[in-house]
Amino acid sequence: MRAIKGVLFTCDAAVKQILLTMNEQQSFIIEDLDDNHLVIKADDEFRVRRQLETELEKNTYSLE
Amino acid sequence: MSYKRPAEGYSRSQPSKRPRRDEDEYMEIQDEDDVIPPSPPEDNSLVPKSATINFSALTRKLAEAKRTEDFNAPDMSALEIHRMHQSKLVSHIFMDQDFSFMHLKPDHASRPLWISPEDGLIILEAFSPIAEQAQDFLTAISEPVSRPAFIHEYKLTSYSLYAAVSVGLQTEDIIEVLNRLSKVPVPEPIISHIRKCTETYGKVKLVLKHNKYFVESSHPELLQKLLRDPTIQDARVISIQADNSIKGNTFTTSKAPAKGNLIIPGTSKEGDKGSDVAKGRNNDADLFTSVVGVEGDEIEEDDDNVHSFEINDAKIDDVKKRCNELNCPMLEEYDFRNDTVNANLDIDLKPATVIRPYQETSLSKMFGNGRARSGIIVLPCGAGKTLVGITAACTIKKSCLVLCTSSVSVYQWRAQFLQWSNITDRQIAVFTADQKEKFAGDSGIVVSTYSMVANTHNRSHESKKMMEFLTSREWGFLLLDEVHVVPAAMFRRVVTTIKAHSKLGLTATLVREDDKIADLNYMIGPKLYEANWMDLAAKGHIANVQCAEVWCSMTPEFYHEYLREQSRKRALLYCMNPNKFQACQYLINYHEERGDKIIVFSDNVFALEAYAKKLGKPYIHGGTGQTERMRVLQHFQHDPAVSTIFLSKVGDTSIDLPEATCLIQISSHFGSRRQEAQRLGRILRAKRRNDEGFNAFFYSLVSKDTQEMFYSTKRQQFLIDQGYAFKVITSLDGQQDFPNLVYRTREEQIELLQSVLIANEADAEPGSDVRASEGDLAGTITSKDFGPTRFPAAQRTTSSLTSLSGAQHMSYIEQNKSMNKTLAKSAAGSINRHKLFQKRDKEKIAARKEAKKTAQ
Repeated sequence: MRAIKGVLFTCDAAVKQILLTMNEQQSFIIEDLDDNHLVIKADDEFRVRRQLETELEKNTYSLE
Repeated sequence: MSYKRPAEGYSRSQPSKRPRRDEDEYMEIQDEDDVIPPSPPEDNSLVPKSATINFSALTRKLAEAKRTEDFNAPDMSALEIHRMHQSKLVSHIFMDQDFSFMHLKPDHASRPLWISPEDGLIILEAFSPIAEQAQDFLTAISEPVSRPAFIHEYKLTSYSLYAAVSVGLQTEDIIEVLNRLSKVPVPEPIISHIRKCTETYGKVKLVLKHNKYFVESSHPELLQKLLRDPTIQDARVISIQADNSIKGNTFTTSKAPAKGNLIIPGTSKEGDKGSDVAKGRNNDADLFTSVVGVEGDEIEEDDDNVHSFEINDAKIDDVKKRCNELNCPMLEEYDFRNDTVNANLDIDLKPATVIRPYQETSLSKMFGNGRARSGIIVLPCGAGKTLVGITAACTIKKSCLVLCTSSVSVYQWRAQFLQWSNITDRQIAVFTADQKEKFAGDSGIVVSTYSMVANTHNRSHESKKMMEFLTSREWGFLLLDEVHVVPAAMFRRVVTTIKAHSKLGLTATLVREDDKIADLNYMIGPKLYEANWMDLAAKGHIANVQCAEVWCSMTPEFYHEYLREQSRKRALLYCMNPNKFQACQYLINYHEERGDKIIVFSDNVFALEAYAKKLGKPYIHGGTGQTERMRVLQHFQHDPAVSTIFLSKVGDTSIDLPEATCLIQISSHFGSRRQEAQRLGRILRAKRRNDEGFNAFFYSLVSKDTQEMFYSTKRQQFLIDQGYAFKVITSLDGQQDFPNLVYRTREEQIELLQSVLIANEADAEPGSDVRASEGDLAGTITSKDFGPTRFPAAQRTTSSLTSLSGAQHMSYIEQNKSMNKTLAKSAAGSINRHKLFQKRDKEKIAARKEAKKTAQ
């Protein structure tokens, strides 16, 4: 079997849900461990982080 | 300091002399090398790229040139040179906001404020020992922008400066005092701005004579200048005139009204008015003596001819706007004491009426020089705006038109007038959709709504006649309630159709989500007074409020659905978040134990009912019938067992709510700052506010990681500017150990989720329960009749047989009973009276029978 390089992702429950919906579009989750932990593909880590950032930023109000 | 320098510096920065400039810079770099290692050259080129030549860049360039000049000056100490280098090193960080060229005064630490040379923004250290005096001065000359605990922001605008001049402040005094308070010398552009604004002020007047508007001035050249402007030319009404001489062609010239004749009747009247005041009200004597004291002595030095031209009423605010742009704003003051044309109205405050100090201050701004000035007064909710309006009407003593947003507030205003002043029933009339009356006599008060007056199409015969009555006469005073909500177009119609000598706008929140606030400046007038909320709270006029934002994390199941749903359902999901439910339950319980009266607000009716039923509390929304509503409110007011009610949007304005001391908000109308302030107003008038250490509480429950976070922060902006601080609570201590906590298990939560998901899409809409009635402004919920209760329409759905047969998650639901029904039952059933009273009742009946018998 081919080995895949993975990264352990620790997050809160809400972020995990965001990641799950993101996963539906482009799969990157290797293993869903529990409420707060996921193993994701190492190659996608940077992309996922950036996408998550923009997703969370949507709910922030800033002046201007 | 010589003023030649900047000019020199400027010429030097011209491209032709470029080489010299570079030399200077090169020298600087060399010097800096001694102090710190060199930084990249582009950082050092402090001269902004000359491609963009704007005003600020120019000032900076000048200052820069000046600085290099100073820098070369031989009489500088080594320390000063060193400091200059250091400021150069950091200045590139600030880009356009680099004001390091403004040198601090040596004793700057004891001076409280700082002025931005570009836009007239004033930053005040509110913790300075002389901050209070500085604040008084700043509120007179500028507009408050933001006033939290320690650093205040004010802004110098032309309107605020006009207001300052009309109160009697002199140009030189303003500059003097500013300079004394400022940490830096007052920047040149600001000084010239102040001069420009204050010098032309008051030269041109807008006068209402015989129901026509005239622009009046004793300076013909100024009028000529105005008339050359196309907008004003356009608005001018050319009266048919026989002589075609040059003068007649331009404008009418008349002898200035001989003041002597006019004053004598005025003064004698003034005399007994003054004595009346002295007898009746000692508390506000100050205000009125200041009003009375002026007596028109300083007014008429110029006995020249007064020149005027008439303008079209429809274009009145275009002209006003244009004049402001041309820097000669029109003075709009009403010398009501000398107005002999319009009949006086015999109205006075009742002797028992007491005005609070801030109400007095706000009125003194309006009547600062013995004449009525038009403008806006901003006071927090519950601080007595109505009384301010009534006192103003009592001071002017002419016919008065009051406009408010809905028919409910029409009657409230009328009742208030009758309560506080000695006006009789016959003198105050109401003009609404169902009631059209005129006052008796030749002066009086009419109360109406904006839309009744602004309506242009299909009127009934009666209201047409009423409108004719309104437009045909001159009003001494136009009182505009809640000015911030009125759409600009409607407002324009009101202002142009009604001829009023003076206008006063009242509001608690001078904010709008669109940027139409500035329009009010020329349609009504400048902001005359804005109360400091924190100050009023400190003095006990409004309650002290602790504001908190409680963050409730979404449960994974809810958040999962939230991410999949479209926007409308989303709102329902974040309202119904089980964690929010728990937080709400916990907070209600906590405050009930403290003895607080709690109001819970939810814009969403579905959520409202779900919460209220689950937690067993009474609720009121648009669909609640009148009797049920009265019963619930009465219980809330008097029954110690009912200390919590749930309210939908109807509670924002329409219901005369009893006081509460704690407010919890579970869902709200998106990012509306006004609603937030309005809701806060519900607890500001708490009667217990004067108890030592009393605090009212304002909680806003927010679901984390959802849009609600965005809206919540936006909503708070207004209150933050007023100085309120929102504490963020991420977890409520002891919530998890709380007994009977709702939706504790996952199964229950999923059940709740199911019920949310099958809910109608329409249920997700906030404020769906209220319907505006005719005559109300859009967005104000003030009607008493909320329309017939909705009947659920027939529905067709597709789903699997398992779900239809109830084999999915939910096979059985336990419905909590509505608390409203329990209340109704207890009201209907026999009242539980104490044994003592029961016995006495029996005895009474027996005695009555006895009496009857003996009578027979």
